[in-house]
Amino acid sequence: MSIITTSGLTMQFGAQRALDSLNVAVDAGVTGLVGANGAGKTTLMSLILGLRAPTAGKASVLGFDPQTDGAQLRARIGFGPERNVVPEDMPASDFVKHMAEVRGMPRSEARGRASDALWLVGLGEERSRALGTMSTGQRQRVKLAQAIASDPSLLLLDEPTDGLDPVQRDEMLSLIRQVSREYGIDVVLSSHLLEEVERICDHIVALDAGRLVAAGRLTDLVGDEQGVVVELAEVVDHPDAVRDVVANLSQAGLDVSRNEVGLRLEVIGPDADVVADLVRDAIAGANARVVRIERRRRRLEDLFSVGSP
Amino acid sequence: MNDVAHPATSAGGGLSADETEIHDRGYRRYEGARSGVAGSVRSVAWQTVRSTLGLGRPARHKVFPVVVVVIAALPAVAFLGIAILLRDFGDEPLAGYSDLFGFSVAPIMIFAALVAPEALVRERRDGMFSLYMSTPLTRASYVGAKVIAVLSVMMIIALGPVLLALVGYTVVGEGPDGFLDWVKVFLQLAAGSLVISGVMGAVAMAGASVTDRRAFASVAVILVAFGGAIVSEILVDAAEFSNVYGLLDPLGTATESATRILGEASDATEDASELAGVDTIAVVLGALAWFAAGASIVGYRYRNLKAS
Repeated sequence: MSIITTSGLTMQFGAQRALDSLNVAVDAGVTGLVGANGAGKTTLMSLILGLRAPTAGKASVLGFDPQTDGAQLRARIGFGPERNVVPEDMPASDFVKHMAEVRGMPRSEARGRASDALWLVGLGEERSRALGTMSTGQRQRVKLAQAIASDPSLLLLDEPTDGLDPVQRDEMLSLIRQVSREYGIDVVLSSHLLEEVERICDHIVALDAGRLVAAGRLTDLVGDEQGVVVELAEVVDHPDAVRDVVANLSQAGLDVSRNEVGLRLEVIGPDADVVADLVRDAIAGANARVVRIERRRRRLEDLFSVGSP
Repeated sequence: MNDVAHPATSAGGGLSADETEIHDRGYRRYEGARSGVAGSVRSVAWQTVRSTLGLGRPARHKVFPVVVVVIAALPAVAFLGIAILLRDFGDEPLAGYSDLFGFSVAPIMIFAALVAPEALVRERRDGMFSLYMSTPLTRASYVGAKVIAVLSVMMIIALGPVLLALVGYTVVGEGPDGFLDWVKVFLQLAAGSLVISGVMGAVAMAGASVTDRRAFASVAVILVAFGGAIVSEILVDAAEFSNVYGLLDPLGTATESATRILGEASDATEDASELAGVDTIAVVLGALAWFAAGASIVGYRYRNLKAS
């Protein structure tokens, strides 16, 4: 069942079209909203929240029209903004409790839920610290805690790993995945980092300059393809080794393409295992040296290269 | 769901297993009632009151509110002290409530100039306004919460001293005659304080809406309040224009309204006042006009403010 559907959704800012006739359906689970900066991700989020009126088209979120049922809808959404909005001199627990109350949690529940949310994101011991004294990673966790403390049905996270180092990014992605899997909260997260989206998302909505590039299940959009990718190293004693490998594979009836440098080969055949065996034999026969051999995979960046004019 | 474990008796021989429990509630889904927009407004208003009074913040944020409250209450405390010490007043009248309103004018203006920017400007700058807009709050309910907060805090300064005087005068036997009269005076004081808080709150919130710099907003509020007083004095006293021009002074208009509500013939309504001889209805309309002007500026600003 779709939690978000848009029909001809268009947003125009002066001469710039931030979203162009977007028709998309987002299913339950973790959905990655991907695209470069300026692709229209934040604009789409603000339309989902009902913060702006679209120039044309309409959206339905959790069965609500964001334009007419905005307050009711937003009571069911937890939002983690990209901006660092935390009040500097407020303790983390006070901030999360306050936001839980503002999102509709009764006062009697808010304090306990704020504490639970902070423990969940790993800041239980730090909950009394002023937000201004926290690191970027801790503030990102606080933003996640304030978004989930009110027990939303849908979590909207705008660039939740922005400013994090690789370790912190891994931890944040694990947390987001945990929130969805263990508590059944649907998540839409925007990111310009395709690799992290590929790691945790069930679904993808890819935007480029306000246009929909691709949408669907991650497993349908990326994954194994026929053939293997081989990366070879130069061999001083056998300068023609790479050329010989290509010749051997071509003679075996396989489709071989070389990159510009010529050391990376894409070998396409009907069965990856058979292709891998033939590649192994060809390399051995040519006395070539292998750096890496792996199955060919479609990646998210391929969606954008296909979608580009 | 609550997970409860019963650990073994501690090695130190403290609590037994029957006496100790570890509650590991953890994050869980919530299926109870929600407080809706009213709860959102209440929370934002209360958080704003806490922030402007420095509650839950480092000590330095509490200094200014405490100093202003003390300064505003000093005249009332002084008159009360005199009343308690002398006991017998003869024909000397105690300070009237409108006099006490007059004494509070400067603290009220300074407080307004600093409270409203604290309540509004910071949240526009640090993005909290946009975060609030991702909740059930709308622009209108957000501004409503801020109005409630600013009025509440202003009422502490405006009503506190006169209420202190009312209670003190009552205790020393110089208060209103009888319970009904006491209630009547109390309601008059509350209404007068509300007018002063409303006018100065509206002016201050307007000032805090037009700039994203707190210092500029504070200066703007003081300029409007002082400027209005100076202009009205020049027009009425020096140029001898109609006393109606006294309505250009927002704080003077507000305190005069409070005085008229009290029905007192204090200094403010004698010849020295720019508003002497002006109809009460005109004075009240003047106060309403200042409130409406401030509210219109705030409304226009927030109707057009982008939330991202």
